[in-house]
Order: sequence, then structure tokens, then C-alpha cells
Amino acid sequence: MHNYHSYTVEDLATDEMFRSWVIDTTSENSAFWNRWLNENPDKAGLIGQARELVLEVHEIYKDDLSPEMIDFEIQEITRLADLRKREQRNILSFFAHPVRRAAAVLVLAGTLGWMYYSGQSLKTETASAEAQPTVSIEPMIVKTNHTDKDMTVLLSDNSVATLMKGSSIRYPKTFGERNRSVFLTGEAFFDVSKNPQKPFLVFTNETVTKVLGTSFRVKAFDEDNTVMVLVKTGTVSVYQKTEYESLSEKTEREVSGVVLKPNQQVVFIRDQNRLERGAVANPNLLSESSLHRELVFDEKPVTEVFEALENIYGIVIVYNAAILSECVISAQFNDENLKQRMNAICQAIGASYDMINGEIIINSKGCS
Amino acid sequence: MNEEQNISSSSDINAYLWRNFKAGDADALGQLSKVHYRALYNYASKFTPDPDFIRDSIQELFLELWERREFLSETAFVRSYLLKALRHKLIKESVRLKRIQEHNQVLFDADNSDLSIESHIIEDEHTTYQSNRLKRIITLLSKRQQEIIYLRFYQNLENEDIAQIMGLGRQSVSNLLYRTLKEIKEIWHPAEFFWALMLIYFC
Repeated sequence: MHNYHSYTVEDLATDEMFRSWVIDTTSENSAFWNRWLNENPDKAGLIGQARELVLEVHEIYKDDLSPEMIDFEIQEITRLADLRKREQRNILSFFAHPVRRAAAVLVLAGTLGWMYYSGQSLKTETASAEAQPTVSIEPMIVKTNHTDKDMTVLLSDNSVATLMKGSSIRYPKTFGERNRSVFLTGEAFFDVSKNPQKPFLVFTNETVTKVLGTSFRVKAFDEDNTVMVLVKTGTVSVYQKTEYESLSEKTEREVSGVVLKPNQQVVFIRDQNRLERGAVANPNLLSESSLHRELVFDEKPVTEVFEALENIYGIVIVYNAAILSECVISAQFNDENLKQRMNAICQAIGASYDMINGEIIINSKGCS
Repeated sequence: MNEEQNISSSSDINAYLWRNFKAGDADALGQLSKVHYRALYNYASKFTPDPDFIRDSIQELFLELWERREFLSETAFVRSYLLKALRHKLIKESVRLKRIQEHNQVLFDADNSDLSIESHIIEDEHTTYQSNRLKRIITLLSKRQQEIIYLRFYQNLENEDIAQIMGLGRQSVSNLLYRTLKEIKEIWHPAEFFWALMLIYFC
């Protein structure tokens, strides 16, 4: 035990044990310091000053960083670190192959020769960019729905988030190697592409929802007392955030949390800090949006169908109109999601699609 | 604060994380970052009011360490080392992005002007009555004095670490700290009577 008798105000204010009593009082540390004060009543003024110093300095310099934000930033750092590692490995392994190394030298020599003859250096950047497969480090994207209508957000893994009014979502332009994490405040419906290797995680302030590929809704407005997760298809695991974090090191997340099946919901009650499971009470919440109902196409060119979907969802669909000019479809949509509609259309015309940079890109060889 | 201490004092975990970090385990980087994230964020927020700029700077700091992981000595994940590197980065970037106009709003900066606290107080009109409260006194200190008080009593760092972070000699730090504390005590009237009441309540 330290000899606190000779301590000055400054010594006390920087002493770990003293500080933990002032900042984070427990019954043990206050028992110690109260006893010490009883034995040394002449030090009360000194203790009072040191206490005030620590408290006031904390009061002045405190920040409003939430634990959720820290977790989110840490996830982001590990994701980017992973990406950079892959990038380094790609460059190394690309040039490790002797033939490729020779090819790279040839490309460079060819470029220099070409530059010499053409007399312009503008294209050198493109040439070297082709020689090095670079993974650009993607920033986070934040989308907030300030409108009265639902907002459709397309994610890099072909998952779709439908954001309700007043809600906000943060997600990386490209997901990392281990998982697909998004951070939600407010309410959104998710239609998640299947990928068992890479779980899809929705973080709210108090809950983490983990899925491998399914559709569900998360409702987590800051002003509400509850967080709700409702499942339409597939299986969803919901955890209390604190619980999820304590499990993170053990990779034992499968064992706990509440597992939900279709048409089930879980409600997290904030002031009681607990999860409550039940059947979905309001079936309207199990579709992306009530505005997207009923859509009938009878022998229509597929380009017209795409235009209709672009208008309804406020998204961009990129396609080659000339190649698709022969494609005609008949379809009737009721409560299908955007993804289900896209899947059905593409299947009908023998095409596929990707979601890149928030746009749907149609890959097709045409219909004949 | 307690959690941080526990992690950094348990050298086994640290050595384990450090080994994995060196071997290229991104999760180890995440865990090492987590120990220091709040301290770094808090310090950075005294240089700029822009949270996005802070997040980007801290992210960049850790990713730079990650890219140089094979060449780093173990000191790279000591708090004072990180705070120093972040401070340098923030000041350099602020200058580059010409964020000069913000300098008036920030608490600390690289400015070396160092007026005594009396000169600030004299400028103020209703000093005699209210200026005896510690919070008010501290906010009236020069930027450098505030930074030293912050690093000593908020981040709880030793003088040697403070000297490193602020790029000052060790002696200058102890002189400045001594002078600052002396100045504070000269006008500070601690809330002693309040404290006496608290004691009665506790006992």
C-alpha cells in the first residue's frame, strides 16, 4: 500500500487508485478512502482538492463518443487492414510468377516505346494501373432518408436495404473479408443475399442481428423504448449488443442470442435491457414497402419493366438497350421484394445482375 | 480507464496480440486499437471540432502502423507514442487543409504563445467573483497550459511522456506544469465547505 501521507494534490490526482475512486466509485474503493479519511482528518482538504481537480478536468474534456461508435470504427479499421493485406498479397503474387514478371517488363518496355513514338505521356497511368491489380480502399457511405418516401439502398453484395423515413444507414462501399456489417439508426427492411461464409450483421445501439441470407426488418429509432427485429424468410439470430461483444473473442456466438424463424419477431426493451420473442403482430411490416405493391406487365419489353422499377424504387438500372431490345416478358408482382423481382425478370430473359456502386448492372447476351 | 489499465498491464495478452499483429492478423490490430481508441479520439477532439476528420485521422494512423508492422518496435502501441503521432498528423493535416480559421475554436494547437493566466483574467471583467472555480480557471489558461493539464490529469501521463508528445524538453514540461499549478492555486478557492458536507454524509 502506498504511503499517502506525503502525497500532494497533484500526486493524489494522478494516482490510479485515487482516480478510480473519484471517476468510478465502487463500494470497495470508497470503503478504503473513507477509512483513510477517518484516520487522517487533517487531509480532508487535500483530498477534496484532488477530487475536485480530477472531476473538473474530466468534466471539461469529456467527449460524446459512444461505445457503439468505437466498435464500429474498430471494425472499420480491421476491415481496411484486411483489404490492404489482400492488396499487398495480390501485387506480390502477381509479380512472383516468372512469366508475368517478364510480361510486366514487356508491358513497361512496350509502353515506353509507344510513348516515344506517339509523343504523349497521358496513357502511362492506365498502363501501369493494368499491370498492378489494385484494390482501392473504400470509404464508408452514409445514407439518410430525409424524404417521406422509402429509400432503396443497394449494397455491394447484392443485398437491398429499404430505409424508412428519418432513418440512417452506414455501410462500406465494399464489404470486408470476414463479414458484412452495417450500422442502422431508425428502421429498415433488409433483403440479404445468401453467403454462408460472410455473415451479414446489422448493428443498432443495443442489438446485433446476424443472418446469412434472408429478409427481415429492424426498427431501432433512438426515441423509441424498443428495438424490433421481424423475420420474413430464413433464420436470424439477434443478440444484445453487450452480449455479442463479450462473445466476440470466443467465437462462440452460435450458442447464444435469440434465434428467429419466419413470421417471428423479437422486441428489445431498452429500459429493462431484455429481449422478448413473439409472433409478428403486424404483417405489413414483413414487406419492403407498402408502396411497391401490385405491378402487372403483359408482353412488355423488358426495358420498360426496368424503367418502371427505376421509378418505383428510385434506383438506377444500367443495361444495354440495343442488346435487350428483343426481350419481352409478362409478369405480375404483388408483395415481392426488389431482389425477388430482379431475380424473376433476369431468370425469364436469361440474364444476371450485379449491384455495383449503388446501381444495378444487367449482364445479358440478349434474347432471340 | 480501468479496462485499459488491465489490458496494458497484463503483458501476456499484450505479447500475444503483438505477435499476431506482426504476423498480419487484422483482429489483433483491432484489439490493440480498441485499447487506445477513446484516449486518441478524446485528445484529437481538442484540436478539431470535426468528428469525421478525427475518425479519418485515427483510422489512417492505425493503418499506417499496420503497413509498417514488420518494422515497428513494440513501443508503437504505447499510448504516448500514439498520442504524439496523432497530434503530429492532426496539426500537419490542418495546415495542409488550411483549417486555420478553426484554430480560434480549438482548445490546443501548436501555437507557442504563452501568456500568464493573470493577463487573461485581467482582460475579463467579472473576475473577482466567479473566477475562483477550477473549471473556469482552467479554461482561461493558455492553450499550452491547458494541454499540459489535460495530458497530466485527464490522460494521466508522466512528464516524460508529455514532453515527448508536445515536443518539449522534459525540464520545460515540469517548469510549465509547476508554474501552471501554482497559478491555479493562487486563485482557486476549492469547494471545501461542500466537501465537508459530503464527508458527514459518507461517514
